Amino acid sequence: MSVPVAPFSHLSTLWVQVTGTWCNLQCVHCINSSGPTDPWLKSLDTETVKRHVMEAEALGVKEIYFTGGEPFLHQDILELLACSLRVAPSTVLTNGTRITEKTADALAALAGESLYSLEIRVSVDDIDPEANDRIRGKGAFDKAIRAIRLLHARGLLPILTATEILQGDGPEGNGMYQRFRDLLASVGVTKPRVKIIPVFPAGRLAQEGGARLTREMLQGFDFSLLQCTETRAVADGGVYSCPILAGLKEARLSEGSLEESFTPCRLYHPACVTCYQTGMTCRNF
Amino acid sequence: MEGEREYRRIAVFGGVYSNYLALEATLEDARRRDVEAIFCLGDMGAFGPHPDRVFPPLRQAGVLAIQGNYDDSLGAGKEDCGCGYTDPRDNFFARISYEYTFKNTSAENKAWLRTLPKHQRIRLGEHRVLMCHGSPRMLNEFLWESTTPNGLLEKFMRDYQAEVILCTHTGIKWHRALAGGRHLVNVGAIGRPENDGMTNVWCAILTADAGLQVEFVPVHYDHEALAREMEREGLPSEFVETVRTGWWTTCLEVLPAKERARGKY
Ligand SMILES: [Fe+2]
Repeated sequence: MSVPVAPFSHLSTLWVQVTGTWCNLQCVHCINSSGPTDPWLKSLDTETVKRHVMEAEALGVKEIYFTGGEPFLHQDILELLACSLRVAPSTVLTNGTRITEKTADALAALAGESLYSLEIRVSVDDIDPEANDRIRGKGAFDKAIRAIRLLHARGLLPILTATEILQGDGPEGNGMYQRFRDLLASVGVTKPRVKIIPVFPAGRLAQEGGARLTREMLQGFDFSLLQCTETRAVADGGVYSCPILAGLKEARLSEGSLEESFTPCRLYHPACVTCYQTGMTCRNF
Repeated sequence: MEGEREYRRIAVFGGVYSNYLALEATLEDARRRDVEAIFCLGDMGAFGPHPDRVFPPLRQAGVLAIQGNYDDSLGAGKEDCGCGYTDPRDNFFARISYEYTFKNTSAENKAWLRTLPKHQRIRLGEHRVLMCHGSPRMLNEFLWESTTPNGLLEKFMRDYQAEVILCTHTGIKWHRALAGGRHLVNVGAIGRPENDGMTNVWCAILTADAGLQVEFVPVHYDHEALAREMEREGLPSEFVETVRTGWWTTCLEVLPAKERARGKY
């Protein structure tokens, strides 16, 4: 049966898979199987990222996101953020482990100088340190909370980002959401911001023979609910349909040019079912 | 672009949010300022009490209005306000507000909302002006000052052939001048104070002379009277607090970092 496609509307968000799948943690639910050894997807070099940022600006991009892997492992991450913030509001998705006082100071300086907002999203998966660390690795909780405190102290208003791996309560519930807000309040965060994302059948949670979208399922469906109609991700090897599938050959739309990737994309992956069912977006809000 | 009305000086506001007392104060203020026309960028209902009370003043003053997401939803009988929130706490309060407004807006006023266009084009002197609610491409797109890149504005002005774009939807005013005498003006809202600890709301006066002059005018109204009516109507105390203090207590999660940092909550 033929694979359904999503039309492309406009470029709202550009994702930059800046460190590929290179990460100092190795979370059990990682959507792209990132880890410290032998990353299957390479980092992007500084010049390549800058070229994409400039191209995105000319195409009217609205927001730029940095992800990986762990973006703060990239040697030029601060320079890249400075470049990105001259063009558009920018967000970094991080595990927080590498955010020292010095890094937090540098981020605060970047945010202060920019016309556009800088957002830092710090990943935590449970309010219980031990449960969190079973998923994310020993010490991950404490380091993430330390990062959140350092950022908060500098007025940066980090967004705690959690997946539903341990305590999801579905689209209608908000017990999990409230628990994370309470956690933030308990460590002194006065403007608690929480973003919850579903777990994807991708990366370390990929399963053989997972369900796929069909043309029948998409009859009459509002495609604007799918983020791949207005997002693109750059990663080693080219431009891909979305941040979740970045780096996968089947999701590649162009070998380098952003504008060439403005074509319909194939909804071939089991992760596409999750977006279809939840209407989720990887954007901040 | 033949046939667009040309003006020299206009008043523009958005986000009435059922605040008929602020609306009356705004219209009175605009009349004193020698404007040729008054424009409203949509969202007549939401948040405040007695939604039907904003329609008579809007019609009597001959306000030229376009549809906001609220007007689109009420007019079409949609299930939610289409505000574009994703956060559970934002959506919780948005639902309360929409249910109250839907229930208390007459069929006649809903029908009137259906007749409103989604865009309005005029000329202000030499400038081609495009008015929209959220953004030119989307009724409920948020154009905050800290999340609207110049590159995107350049694209909008190219794609929609306008030198001046006017919008609202976020509830916080801002203005950015681009090279070549081009402007983006988010006129803010008259229905709710703008999260700065002040109880007044804001309206914009635009004047074409040598270039384009953009002036934001603070509008003071009897906010205490509004707060008491909201209490009598059983609207959430969080909404009432915002009217009395000028600080947002709800629909906060959609704020970008810079705008959020300026507020109390
Ligand atoms: Fe709106």
